[in-house]
Amino acid sequence: MKLHKLLYVFSVFLLITSCEKELEINPTDNLPGELAFTSEANISAILVGTYDEAGQAATYGGRLQLMVDLLGTSNQVFWGGTFLDPRQAFTKDLLVDNGFVDGIWGNSYETINQANLVLDNLETVTSSTEEKNRIEGEAKFLRALNYFDLVRNFASPYVSGQANPQLGVPLRLSGIIDYSANQETARNTVEEVYVQVILDATDAYNLLPSDNSFYADKYAAQALLARVYLQQGNYTDARDAADDVLANSGHSLATNFASAFNNDVDSSEDIFSFQVTSQTGTNELITHYASEADGGRGGDITVEDAYLDLFDDPTEQRANFTYINPANERRLSLKYTNQFGNIIIFRIAEMHLIRLESNFILGSSIGLNPLTEINALRARSNALPLLGPLTLDLIFNERQLELAFEGFILNDIKRKQRSINGIAWNNTSLVFPIPQSEIDTNPSMVQNQGY
Amino acid sequence: MKAKLKGVSTFLLVLIAQLTFAQERSISGKVTDQNGIPLPGVNVVVKGTTIGTQSDFDGNYSINANMGGILVFSYLGQKTIEKSISTSNIIDVQMEEDASQLEEVIVVGYGTQSKRTLTDNISKLTSDDISDVPNPNLQNALVAKAAGVQVTQTNGKVEGGINIRVRGAASVSGGTQPLYVLDGIPLIDPTGGRGEIGNGAPTNPLLTLSSNEIESIDILKDASSAAIYGARGANGVVLITTKKGKQGKAKFSLNLAQGFSQPTNKRDWLNSKEYVELFTEAGRNSPFFTPDEGQAFVEDEFEFQSGGTDWRNAEIDTDWNNQAFQDGYQTDADFSVSGADAKTSYFFSGAYNNTSGIIKDNELERANARTNISHQFSDKFKAGMNLSFSRTAIDRIANDNAFATPLQAIAQSPLSQPRLADGTPNPNTLYGNFLLDAENAFFNTIIRRTVGKVYGEYQFIPSIKLNSDFSYDLFSQTEDSFRGKNALFQSTNGEAFASDLASESYTYSNYATFDKTFDEKHSINIVAGTEFIKYTRRITSVTSQQFPSDDLSTVSGGAEITAGTGVNLKSSFASYFARATYDFDGKYLFKASIRRDGSSRFGENVRFGTFPAVSAGWIMSEENFLKDSQTLSFLKLRGSWGKLGNADIGGDYPSLFLFSGVSYNQRPGLAPIQPGNSNLTWEQSTQTDFGIEFGFLDNRISGELDYYVKDTQDLLFSVPLVPSSGAVSINQNIGILQGKGIEFVLNTRNISTDNLSWTTNFNISNNINELKSLPNNNADIVNGQNINRVGENVAAFYLREYAGVDPANGDALYYLNTENPDGSLNRATTTDPNEAQRIIAGNPFPELTTGMTNTILYKDFDFSFTLQGEWGASIYNAGGRFQSVNGDFYDNQSRDQLQRWQQPGDITNVPQARLFAGNGTAQSTRFLAEADFMRLRNLTLGYSLPNEVIDKMGLSKLRVYLTGINLLTVTNYPFEDPEARSDVDGQNNPGQTFYSAPPATTLTMGVNINF
Repeated sequence: MKLHKLLYVFSVFLLITSCEKELEINPTDNLPGELAFTSEANISAILVGTYDEAGQAATYGGRLQLMVDLLGTSNQVFWGGTFLDPRQAFTKDLLVDNGFVDGIWGNSYETINQANLVLDNLETVTSSTEEKNRIEGEAKFLRALNYFDLVRNFASPYVSGQANPQLGVPLRLSGIIDYSANQETARNTVEEVYVQVILDATDAYNLLPSDNSFYADKYAAQALLARVYLQQGNYTDARDAADDVLANSGHSLATNFASAFNNDVDSSEDIFSFQVTSQTGTNELITHYASEADGGRGGDITVEDAYLDLFDDPTEQRANFTYINPANERRLSLKYTNQFGNIIIFRIAEMHLIRLESNFILGSSIGLNPLTEINALRARSNALPLLGPLTLDLIFNERQLELAFEGFILNDIKRKQRSINGIAWNNTSLVFPIPQSEIDTNPSMVQNQGY
Repeated sequence: MKAKLKGVSTFLLVLIAQLTFAQERSISGKVTDQNGIPLPGVNVVVKGTTIGTQSDFDGNYSINANMGGILVFSYLGQKTIEKSISTSNIIDVQMEEDASQLEEVIVVGYGTQSKRTLTDNISKLTSDDISDVPNPNLQNALVAKAAGVQVTQTNGKVEGGINIRVRGAASVSGGTQPLYVLDGIPLIDPTGGRGEIGNGAPTNPLLTLSSNEIESIDILKDASSAAIYGARGANGVVLITTKKGKQGKAKFSLNLAQGFSQPTNKRDWLNSKEYVELFTEAGRNSPFFTPDEGQAFVEDEFEFQSGGTDWRNAEIDTDWNNQAFQDGYQTDADFSVSGADAKTSYFFSGAYNNTSGIIKDNELERANARTNISHQFSDKFKAGMNLSFSRTAIDRIANDNAFATPLQAIAQSPLSQPRLADGTPNPNTLYGNFLLDAENAFFNTIIRRTVGKVYGEYQFIPSIKLNSDFSYDLFSQTEDSFRGKNALFQSTNGEAFASDLASESYTYSNYATFDKTFDEKHSINIVAGTEFIKYTRRITSVTSQQFPSDDLSTVSGGAEITAGTGVNLKSSFASYFARATYDFDGKYLFKASIRRDGSSRFGENVRFGTFPAVSAGWIMSEENFLKDSQTLSFLKLRGSWGKLGNADIGGDYPSLFLFSGVSYNQRPGLAPIQPGNSNLTWEQSTQTDFGIEFGFLDNRISGELDYYVKDTQDLLFSVPLVPSSGAVSINQNIGILQGKGIEFVLNTRNISTDNLSWTTNFNISNNINELKSLPNNNADIVNGQNINRVGENVAAFYLREYAGVDPANGDALYYLNTENPDGSLNRATTTDPNEAQRIIAGNPFPELTTGMTNTILYKDFDFSFTLQGEWGASIYNAGGRFQSVNGDFYDNQSRDQLQRWQQPGDITNVPQARLFAGNGTAQSTRFLAEADFMRLRNLTLGYSLPNEVIDKMGLSKLRVYLTGINLLTVTNYPFEDPEARSDVDGQNNPGQTFYSAPPATTLTMGVNINF
């Protein structure tokens, strides 16, 4: 063979050899996992990512609140939407393969895992103790919030004043990176989950600054504690936690009822909310509560007469906080009209209601006399004052007037051991099923009774 | 490898030199083809000796031989000719094309081979097969034509995805589509798996090709043939070869056609009277109301739906099918000019297709052009270039799982009018009225694609040549979408979206071929080479909202930019391959091949893999004991074994543990998006194939029978993780899948006279696949209504078993199917779906497929038709729990729901109508149906004007024809059509239909003109 032919063969061979180096390709739009925990900036970013995860449509983006309210309603609202999954909640006939329930479970644990990843890598945060505390506190707050909602909705109710050995949800407290290992786990008890929630929220309270922009601060953690204690029937701690928020957080009732809702930026009343903008976050409540013009599906959930009948003063702002969708003549709530509005998790009105209920039961007047406090709250909406005497029924009713469609009714009924359309508070149909996908993959998982 | 090759060639040179010394007398001549064009490369051998040569570039040869000897002229695809040497020293030979199927030339990847000596299983389709089926999606032409190759269009959208399953899938979670290789360029699906672009439904990756530029399609089915494509061959390889100029003067071809389309089937829905009747009853039976309350409640809804018209007397009675469907049409115009002289071969073509789909606002317009040129610069060096460009514009509609998709209109109430009196779409319908989108929104996709290849071929010596190919494929897609103020669910004063995808691939391959026959009996062909491929994709998109006016419809018109993406993706393959075939005496055939592939997609620890294959064949009919048989004209036994890989294992970086950037209130964050697995590698499939090829009565009856076993190990699974672990799934290579099947092909020339010929091509094949092992100690993997379980089919349906209706009270019943202590199933029934255990309820894939094509030529008429049949598949109607649930919600119901239970004693499968009560709405076998069907796939009738007429017109052919596609379907399938399947998440949930459009019945008239 001539030399140039050999050269040709040789150069082809060289070329392909050099091509082998080209097999090493790293992505440019994603971060390899091993680099994710190497800097403080990354840990801080994973924490921001945890908020984003928690704000997904499946949970705090709206579906958690929606499903809880539909399961808790008797006839105050009507589900006329086309989605089958919320309708199963509305008719109290949840199936184990309900897609919304599946999403709530999976998304909550995604958030918990990301919070765990932050907590597992705190030693990387070295710039200052304050910064480390802030990051630890926020991660613990988010973990506590998710575990509290999981245990209230996926397990039999907490019963005040006794041990709660009934099955809760699995507690996973360290982050998972290596998914090739077996991830099977069993359910902890309801008691154990509550203990963990209180531990995390208390840590968060102690670690967090009193002001932390739109991220969770000290008082977000305290508000969570107030809600947890109330659910446990621990009125002393509930009252004191609510009182701390009311006295020290700097948050106060918005000037009128309407301005507490549909805010692009947190109002003075918001203790903590998930942020929604036209670019980030999602407000799934709009999808199901609002008219098409406001970005909804025309009003899957309509406000019924039974709700309006709860008002003793039909002229007050809260009784008139509905509108008729001209497209279909459905009566819809005005609480959800801004598709880019933040999703409120804790607002100050709830703290007033917790403090006054606790004071009333305990016979105390920490902060304010209960009757004075309930009338102060009513006055904000131009409702006529209650003349007294105050009763537990009136307080229960007031919570509905103020907090309706905000995810409270189901757990208020369980807490107060009431019933829904004749279904007792501890009926198994008022508990979400453990999703079929968890049962299918986790042999240690036990399904809830009734499913 | 290279060193060895050199050694062999040196040896050969010496051998040839020695042979030429044994001279007696020089014979020379010219070899031409049947058109009289010189034919280079023809093997000329003195029979019974080792003396041989090849014809040169001008067809001339010269050989030394004895008087009385016999010269044997052979050439691939031509009949072998023998000439005895008499007194003349000049022997000119005109070769003749061998029309018999068994001498077909098969494209095998980096070369060609005669079908006669093939030891592989390869199905070939020619341009004639393809041009009979006018359809913008090329693969539709393959339907029912090749044994073991199941081609299914996803649904009736013009740009819709196409599923091709070669011998069943070799994969569960990985890709199941074959590798497409266009003129040697392995293609990728550039839009696949990217959520930044598109509408959630896949498009056909071959959409940009026109059938008029295709010469042949060869489908490599077994391991022996596909192993040369190594890590990407496991799902079969489809080699697409474009046309070349054939020797002779320039040939102009023109084809014009116009087609009209209708859906194959529409389902029947309740009319207004029936709707009012059923829902009034449902309201009265609803457990949430007293009967009168319930009736008043639904009557309120009727008032709303009817918009104040007189619903009691059915003033409005809308059939929403008529809104969703439209009359489709299709215009085709294409031409080509081709020809070749001794040195240069050329082919130019252009094609235009304009298809208006059967679904409202679904359109496609495509223009293609191609030039394939090659030139023989010397008797050693040949070079050429294939270059094509195309522009495909598609008006897309939403995917099947969107309210805006036209087919979801069938859920609307017949009481509602589609449009208001002023002609604008009625906004007050039960579901968002898709007409709002049809008139106020658009989604336009334009694909511009350029595929080019330059190649050179250098013939060192007659038996050794070197090929060097460089190819480039640019797939540039833009999408422009605008949703005006009045579009469905539009609440941001308009929204515009624009995206840009630039996908480039470079393929650089070099291979050497040694081809030589020694001693007349030993034919050796060796190919060895390397290939490097690099894919890059760059995707950007941007969204804006808040438009001052609907008259502005691009992103710039929006006041606020609300979303954007930017992604760069890369992957590469580096490969070495070699193949040797050896044929002894035209009887004993052997072949071995090996490919070593490395890819950036695989985990660090397992980046390279080696894929070997061997095969052997025995042409028994060449043996003395059969040679003289009058009946048996051909008999070949063959067997093959090989290993193949499937590298399509989920995107470009499937092995890496990844975090993605996220944003919360415009603050940057990070979130884990993919658990890592550094041991992730290709799926490895081992295939064994045994086959018999036969021909009787001079091959008037010929056929093939094959049996194969296909074992895929290291099966890729997107293994669902425990949801409470915080991640959804992980890619793992665990599991074994076995596929087995028998394929039978029978080709007969029933009548063959001067005026009448009739041929039949029949194929039938079955495929049974079974999972042999799964991750986590063979734990079931459940994805919605599909399950992967050891001992069952891939993605078998896994559903509660519907038990019909309790005649006493109209309750829907389900079988418990819980396990009794003795292991049997408890067949008692329950009304509570949560108590009913799921069972394996069906297979989403057919087990038996068949096709039969008859072609009849009578004088100037040609007539052909293809029948297609599929058995064994079931389809789950995921929309069933809305469409056919005895008036559970206001969705219009299929007419069979009128058979609902009404009073005690009624025996029916449709439960009592109870509004909102969920009576029978649980996911169950109630919505599963067998999808067996037989179809008259296509029928063509043509008439060519007689030669004496067209000769005067200066034409060589003038043919008018009528073609029908999907003219007749025989099936008991109750939903739209067995080929209407959901275009959302087809991978995990195959065999589902969800408001999916049926394919089109198309009738086309056209004319072919050649001159």
